[in-house]
Amino acid sequence: MSAPATAAPTTPSRGSAPPEPRRRRRNTYGWPARGFSVPAVLVVAVLLYLPFLWTTWISFTEYNGLGSPSWVGLDNYRAMFDDPNFATSLRNTLIWVVGSITVPVGLGLLIAVLSHGMRFGGWFRLPFLIPYAISGVAVGVVWRFVLQNGGGLSQALDALGLPGADLRWLSDAPLNTLVMIGASSWQQSGVNALLFVIGLQSIPREPIEAARLDGASGWRMFRHMHWPMLRPLTTVVVGLSLVASLKTFDIVWIMTKGGPGRNAETLAVTMYEETFVNSAYGAGSAVAVFLSVVTFLAAITYLRRQLSPERAV
Amino acid sequence: MRLRHTGVAALAASTLVLAACGGGDDEDAEGAAGPGMINFYTDKGAWEPQFLEVSDVSETSLGLGLDFTGYSDAEQYSAFVRQSFRTDEKPDLFTWHTGSELEDLVTEGLLAPTTDIWQGAIDNGDVPEAMREHFTVEGEQYCVPMNAAYWVMYYNKDVFAEYGLTEPTSWAELMTIADTLKAGGVTPFYETNILFSFVWFQTLMAGTDPELYNALGTGEANYTDAGVVAVMEQWQSMLEAGYFGDPGDQTAPQDQLKNGTVAMINFGTFLSGQLNSVDMVSGEDYDFFLIPNVNPDLAQTSLIFETGPMCTALDAANETSALQYAEWWMTEEAQTAWANARGDVSFNPKALVQDQLLAGLNEQSASGDYLLLERYFEATPTPVLTAALDGFSAFVTNPGDPTSILQTIEAEADAYWAEQG
Repeated sequence: MSAPATAAPTTPSRGSAPPEPRRRRRNTYGWPARGFSVPAVLVVAVLLYLPFLWTTWISFTEYNGLGSPSWVGLDNYRAMFDDPNFATSLRNTLIWVVGSITVPVGLGLLIAVLSHGMRFGGWFRLPFLIPYAISGVAVGVVWRFVLQNGGGLSQALDALGLPGADLRWLSDAPLNTLVMIGASSWQQSGVNALLFVIGLQSIPREPIEAARLDGASGWRMFRHMHWPMLRPLTTVVVGLSLVASLKTFDIVWIMTKGGPGRNAETLAVTMYEETFVNSAYGAGSAVAVFLSVVTFLAAITYLRRQLSPERAV
Repeated sequence: MRLRHTGVAALAASTLVLAACGGGDDEDAEGAAGPGMINFYTDKGAWEPQFLEVSDVSETSLGLGLDFTGYSDAEQYSAFVRQSFRTDEKPDLFTWHTGSELEDLVTEGLLAPTTDIWQGAIDNGDVPEAMREHFTVEGEQYCVPMNAAYWVMYYNKDVFAEYGLTEPTSWAELMTIADTLKAGGVTPFYETNILFSFVWFQTLMAGTDPELYNALGTGEANYTDAGVVAVMEQWQSMLEAGYFGDPGDQTAPQDQLKNGTVAMINFGTFLSGQLNSVDMVSGEDYDFFLIPNVNPDLAQTSLIFETGPMCTALDAANETSALQYAEWWMTEEAQTAWANARGDVSFNPKALVQDQLLAGLNEQSASGDYLLLERYFEATPTPVLTAALDGFSAFVTNPGDPTSILQTIEAEADAYWAEQG
C-alpha cells in the first residue's frame, strides 16, 4: 500500500522536499539603522548613480566641455551607429571578448589542472602569477617594446631564422588586436589559474575517490568530475573576464593609441578618443552609455543563465 | 572631572578641524599660489626645468614667479583646463592652442583679452605684427605666444659627409640626396604614424600650393580637390619608393637621427633641444636646412611655423599679476632666457639666441624670402584634424589609393564648416 500523495513527511529528509520558506524577520533597529546607512548611500549615489545619470544626459547633448550642453536628442547615437570607426571598434571589442574568455581562462585552467596535486605546484604557478602584480599600463609598455616593428620579437625571429620577422605586429589589423590579447593573457592567466586552483582544492574528496574506484582517471576524471564541480568558479572567472574584456582600454591605448588609423580601437578607446581627444563630450558619452548597457546586459544574461537552478550541479 | 576634560578636548579638536575646513573662505586674494607666485599649468610637463629657469629670472626682475603644474598627457590636460572653468579655481596662466581651440575658449568668454599687451609688444618690436592674427578672435587679441618654432629639415652631418652630400637648394636636389642615401642603404627621411603623421602632407602641400594649403584650413577648399589628390599621390610615390623610415618604429626621433637609422628628420626646431639632450652637438653632429619648395615657380619659400599661446583665464584669482607676467614674457629679457633654456628659436627678434644655427634661422625667417604658414596641427579645426591624423596614420602605414582617406576627411570638414555657417 502506497502512502497518500498528499501526505506530508513526518521526518525531515535531506533533499526530498523544498525547505519551508523562511519567515522574514523584521529587524527592530528601525530608523536609527537607516540613519547610519545614509552616508554610505550618499557616497554610492554621488559617486556612482549621479555620474551615470549625468553621462546619460550629456549623451543627448552637444557639449565641448565649455559653456552649457545643448540638447540634440538622439543625434549622437545616430552618428555613432553611422560611423564606420564605431563598427571597427565594435568588431575589435568582440574579438577581445572572445579572445579574453578563451585564451586567459583556458590557459589559467590548464595551468591549474597541471599544477594541482603536483609536488612544488605552487612554484610552478608562481611565474604565471607575477605579471598580475604589474599594472596594465606597465604591461602595455613592456609588450610595446617587444612587438613594435623591428622590436624584440622581430629581432629574435630574425636571429633564429624563423618566419614572421617582417610582420607588423602592432600596425596591421586584426593582427594587432590578436597580439594585444596575447599580451593581456600573459598578465591574466596566472590569476585565473590561482582562482581555478582554489576551486580544485575546494572540491570534496569523496566523489573524486568514488570516481577513481569506478576506474575514472585522466581526461574522463576531469571531464565528468572536476569540470562540472568547477562550474561555480568557472562562472565567476568567465564573468569577470567578460566584463573586463568589454571595457578593455589601458593596454590598447598604451600599445597602439587605438591605431594606426583607429584600426585597433575598442569601444572604451573610442569613448576616450571622442571625449578627450575630440572634446566631443556628447558623442563620447553616447559610446559610454552604449558600452555600459552592453556590459550590463552581457553580465546579467550570462550570470542568469549560469546561475539558474536548472543548470545547477 | 576626567569626562569634562575629555569633552573640552573634543570640543577644541572639533573647533580646530572646523577652522581648518573653513579656512578657504579667508584665503589671500592672491590665491593658492600666494603673493608673488602665479599658478601656471601646461601640458609640456617635460619642460618644467626650462620654465623654472625662466621663473628664476622673472622673480628677480618682475617679482613674480611660476607655481608650475605640468601634465604629460595632452588629452588629460585639455580636459582639466576645460573643467577648471566650471570651478572657482580657474588657472591664472596656462598654455593652450591657437586656431579652433582658442576660439572655443573666447566664444564662451573665458579668457582675459590681451589687446593692449600685444599693441605694446608690437610697438616695442618684441613680436612680429604678422603673428598677431593667430591670437585674434573677433578683432580682439587673447593670450600671448608662449613659444615659436619653425619646421625645418634636420640632418645627421656624419651621414651627409659620408656620402659627400651638401644642403639642397631645390626640391630636385633634395630628391637626389634621398636617392643617393637610399642607394647607400640609408633611409632618407623619418616618418611616424603617431600624432606627427601630418608632417609630410603639410610640407608637400605648403611647398606645392600654399594658397590651397591655407584654403584647406579655412574651409574654402576641399580635400578632394585635384591639387590635394596630386599631393597625396606624390607622397604615396615617395612612400612606395622607400624614402621613409618605418612609421611604426617608436624609437624617439632624436635617437633615430643620432643612430643614423634615418639621415633626415622633418621636424620643429624644438628638436634641437631633444638632440642636445642625447649629446648631439649643434653644428657638429647635426644641422638643418629650410625645406625647398616642391614647386620651384613659387615666389617665396614656404616655411611652416607654430606658436603655442600662454593664456589667462578671465576672473582668475591672480588675473592682474598673470597679465603682467604675460606682458613680461614677450620681452627681450624673458625670451632670451626662454630660448636659451629650451634650445629653441624665439618669436622675439631681439632675443639673444646662443645657438648660432637657430639664431641664423631667426634672422633668415624675417628676411622676406619666406612665406610663413601656420602648422597644419593648429591651422585645422579639431574634428577635421582628428580625421586627418587618423587617415594619414593609416596612409603612411599602408600606402595606397588615397581617395577614401581624402573623402573621409572631407566629410568631416563638410560637417564642420556647415555647422560654422
